[in-house]
Amino acid sequence: MLFGSILLFALVMVLFALAYIRTGWISRITPTQWIVGGGLVLPIPVLVLLTGTALVLGEQLLPHGRTPVTIEAHAARWNWTFSYPGGTTQAGDVLHMPAGQPVDILVTTEDVIHAFWVPRLGGKIDAIPGHTNTIRLEADRPGIYWGQCAEYCGIGHDIMRFRVEVHSAEDFAARFGGEAR
Amino acid sequence: MTGKPSPVRLHKDLETIWKTPPGIARLSSVNHTILGKRFMLLALIFFAIGGFLSMLIRAQLATPHSAFVGPEIYNQIFTMHGTVMMFLFAIPMLEGFAIYMLPKLLGARDLAFPRVTAYGFWCYFFGGSILVIAMLAGVAPDSGWFMYTPLSSRPYTAGINADVWLLGITFVEISAVTAAIEIFVSILKLRAPGMSLARMPLMAWYMLVTAGMMIVGFPPLILGSILLELERAFDLPFFDPTRGGDSLLWQHLFWLFGHPEVYIIFLPAAGVLSTIIPVFAQRQILGYRAIIAAIVAMGFLSFGLWVHHMFTVGIPHLALAFFSAASALVAIPTAIQIFAWIGTLASGRPRWDIPMLYVFGFFFVFVIGGLTGVMLAMVPFNTQAHDSYFVVAHLHYVLVGGFVFPMLAGLYHWLPHITGRQSVYRLSIPAFWLIFIGFNVTFFLMHLTGLMGMPRRISTYPSNWGWDWLNLLSSVGGFILTMGFSLVLVDMILQFRFGRRFRRDPWRAQTLEWAMPTPPTDYNFASLPRVDMRADAIEPAPLGPVLASGEGYLGFARNNQQETLAVDMMTGVIEHIVILPRRTYLPLWTALATGGFFVSLLLGHYWLAPFFALLVTGLILLWPASLGFREDQGPVPIGRGETAPFDAESTSNAAILANRTALVTNATLFSSLLFGGLFLIVVAPNWDSAPAPLVPVWLSILAVLAAVAGGASAFFARATNRAGGAVTGGLAGAVLAQGIATAAFLAIMAGMGNPTAHASIAIAFVTLGYCALHSAIGAVIAGHALWRKHQGYVSARRATDPELAFLWNGYAGITAVFGAAMALLLGGIL
Amino acid sequence: MSAGDRRALILLIAGFTAWSFGFVLLYGLQALGCAYDWPAHRAILIAAYIVTLAPLAWLSLIKVRAEGEPASVLALSALWANRAALAAGVLTFFPATFASACI
Ligand code: HEM
Ligand SMILES: [Cu+2]
Ligand SMILES: [Cu+2]
Repeated sequence: MLFGSILLFALVMVLFALAYIRTGWISRITPTQWIVGGGLVLPIPVLVLLTGTALVLGEQLLPHGRTPVTIEAHAARWNWTFSYPGGTTQAGDVLHMPAGQPVDILVTTEDVIHAFWVPRLGGKIDAIPGHTNTIRLEADRPGIYWGQCAEYCGIGHDIMRFRVEVHSAEDFAARFGGEAR
Repeated sequence: MTGKPSPVRLHKDLETIWKTPPGIARLSSVNHTILGKRFMLLALIFFAIGGFLSMLIRAQLATPHSAFVGPEIYNQIFTMHGTVMMFLFAIPMLEGFAIYMLPKLLGARDLAFPRVTAYGFWCYFFGGSILVIAMLAGVAPDSGWFMYTPLSSRPYTAGINADVWLLGITFVEISAVTAAIEIFVSILKLRAPGMSLARMPLMAWYMLVTAGMMIVGFPPLILGSILLELERAFDLPFFDPTRGGDSLLWQHLFWLFGHPEVYIIFLPAAGVLSTIIPVFAQRQILGYRAIIAAIVAMGFLSFGLWVHHMFTVGIPHLALAFFSAASALVAIPTAIQIFAWIGTLASGRPRWDIPMLYVFGFFFVFVIGGLTGVMLAMVPFNTQAHDSYFVVAHLHYVLVGGFVFPMLAGLYHWLPHITGRQSVYRLSIPAFWLIFIGFNVTFFLMHLTGLMGMPRRISTYPSNWGWDWLNLLSSVGGFILTMGFSLVLVDMILQFRFGRRFRRDPWRAQTLEWAMPTPPTDYNFASLPRVDMRADAIEPAPLGPVLASGEGYLGFARNNQQETLAVDMMTGVIEHIVILPRRTYLPLWTALATGGFFVSLLLGHYWLAPFFALLVTGLILLWPASLGFREDQGPVPIGRGETAPFDAESTSNAAILANRTALVTNATLFSSLLFGGLFLIVVAPNWDSAPAPLVPVWLSILAVLAAVAGGASAFFARATNRAGGAVTGGLAGAVLAQGIATAAFLAIMAGMGNPTAHASIAIAFVTLGYCALHSAIGAVIAGHALWRKHQGYVSARRATDPELAFLWNGYAGITAVFGAAMALLLGGIL
Repeated sequence: MSAGDRRALILLIAGFTAWSFGFVLLYGLQALGCAYDWPAHRAILIAAYIVTLAPLAWLSLIKVRAEGEPASVLALSALWANRAALAAGVLTFFPATFASACI
């Protein structure tokens, strides 16, 4: 996507320059060729391919069915509370996750809209009052990541961060319940 | 008339009619040249304010752990920056530009409703002032420029801050809606004779579509603001999920406006490019017809994108897919225009001059913005980049590239038109490079900080995440950018003071605005041209003197009237003479009364608001008093041996078209309300045990029958009037019937249960309130037509008033049907 | 404004107006189907997809023989716009055939 963009950008700028340098051939391109070539032939295949790929990818990222481990993330101004399969609930802005398996996070909120985001692990999902949203994440290996609120939620929005501790699947199962895979 | 006066004599005659005297009387001006300049000047002032705020943002973010301002202030700063830039700079700027330019480009002497232009300006001025005063008082809005609920609801923003936004912006929005209707009607009706739609310069096509988009784009936002203000002031729970509301309703309403808004800002700028580029390419624009198709496509497609701002709120993938595909697709009409412009340059004999430098800036910046836009349209990428600095970078590339650079090009192109002088100091060149380099340094780096995970709208960040130097450089770039803008300002002032005078058409442009004296006179053209070819291929230099000597249409002064011509909207065949109202303080008084209404709401003196509403209604009823004739006049001469009737005797005059357009706006608002109700029923939580509003069936039927009867009665009055019969009975019937309908609707509302209990009752309450209001409006307009008849302004030929009465009463009838159906649905009866 | 002129003007926006209605229809059906758990949700969506394309296809085939200046220029723009609307319909509504409707 990045490479394609650079190419298209370069193409437009070069054409603009050529219009002024006035090499002979460029002034012989007919109006129809400009419109059809630049406006239709060039962008349509690129866009169709790109959107198609993105949709297929998007399908794969969806939480189809249920994962063995689901964790509830509850946001309130301005901290996070996480509940685990075994029934533990921990306030204190630390999320524990098993590595190597997909995990569904059920995101809810106490008050205003927040968003759950761990940049290194994937996309974000909003916490909307009155609704429960699900996002599926998978961490490849154990380690520490950080996550944060990504929807502006008032004065404490800057500091509404949390730590993500990813454990091996066995450790996680032992501490928080749920089946290890 | 008898014998041709000399050009100087003609100028003197017209000037006495059209002139706005200096001094305090300036406040009474309704002239589009003066008001267009005022709009643009005020927009520039707001640009400076918004720019100053952005400098505060960059100062705060230059270093980690910054202690420059705390989050309370920072939140106000970025909210005000976004709000000022979008609502008080970009939109009014394009309105001002259109107001100044369109009549000149289309060969007319003013816009169709000069007093509405003035009223819009005052609404903009007062509404903007409310926001600025609130900012200085430290109670500026602080919920972000899109004001998501519930953060902006009473429990989480207890202070006046959010009310300032909702009321101030709605006040300013009045000017956007009035300007849109006026621009739409003026383009369709007030053109030079012979200028068919297909001969209009592209700028007019762009503005026509933009105005059309504003007409249906702004109502959802206005509705959203009204609902949210009702929730904040009276606790009607439209957005509160515990009582059947849903915060997502706000997001839908906001972005239903917000996305088209971005194209509303871009299209006029694209119109500027389509006007400037041919001038410097020295050939006509390439692909005129393809561009028209592209503009139409863009106008529509841009209404199918709004959910791409909501990809992460938990909407199912299929719905996201529709919006993602539409978002990608809108790139195609954009590409068509980009290549049409480049092709025009390539196949012409391009010249290089200052405006082209800024056009180059546009190409560079906007293409990058467009490409990141396509990236963001892809759902998986979006969920990663959404609400991060990547989006901040993208939006500035699009807005600055797609609006500010073209407008700067336009500034250097048309400033000579406004001042009558050409720039002598070439400050514009260093200014360009400062802006260009400063802009890219500031914002290109934000793509990187965004991808590194920096969320937007944070006032501080930790220093160990590698964002420090990028942010510092961004801030440095921001200050370079500001220096560039200051240099442009200095250049403008120098041009006003010391610019060199020129004769006509300095750029050898080929559009009508150069076929007049510069700076322009108050009446634009001493006589109106006849256009027999594409209006972007005329030669202003020879045409100008011909028009000045009165050889076109209406090259004379008659009865102290401000006259211009209206044409058939499609073919450009002359239809009638428009008599434009002369300068008056009425718009100012009306806007002040409107301001009183908003301020009393803002300060919580709700009991005062109805008085101001009545005052506004009363003042508006005074507006038509000076219009029309007491006798039929028949066709009168218009010069060149032709004749035409006056507007009062035409059945397709601008007033009727404008009222139809206003009803379209109004209907969009009402449909958004119905959509909101259905949305809550289907999607919102806590509806299983919702209390239903008590809606008595017989009373609903009575209300609907009365409102429909009012419409029918007005229809009957209109028909008999056209046939030469009496209108009194029909109009009086309409007044009576709508009075009954209003009372019946109010009675249902009074007895339906407590609207604060649940959204189901609240929605029914507001829907019926809308119906009651429109029945009342129908009664007032029918009553007004009755009064005009009594005063002798109505005859079989002078049929405007009965026509308007029919339009509004018919509309009241239709809304009554839908409104009552909605209420009965909510009441569990349907 | 003659009948031919009016026709050209209406045609100019007809295609995309039909596209907008299709958009609202499909989006609405998607939401309703999820809210009320329709059994044949996908089939309904695909049917709606085909139904919305029909008028678009028809519009993109109409070539008005417009006589005279404004109508002929607009007729050509209208043809382009209506074909674009058909293409937009085919592409934007295509996900109705496969994308997950309720998650
Ligand atoms: C003069 C140069 C400008 C600079 C240095 C600048 C800088 C910024 C920055 C740093 C932000 C992010 C604030 C945050 O998320 O905390 C921002 C937000 C924004 N800017 Fe600008 N900006 C400039 C011009 C403009 C212009 C010309 C427009 C529109 C026409 C604009 C519209 C916006 C909007 C809508 C936001 C979002 C506000 C929000 O998040 O509520 N800016 N700007
Ligand atoms: Cu937050
Ligand atoms: Cu958008």
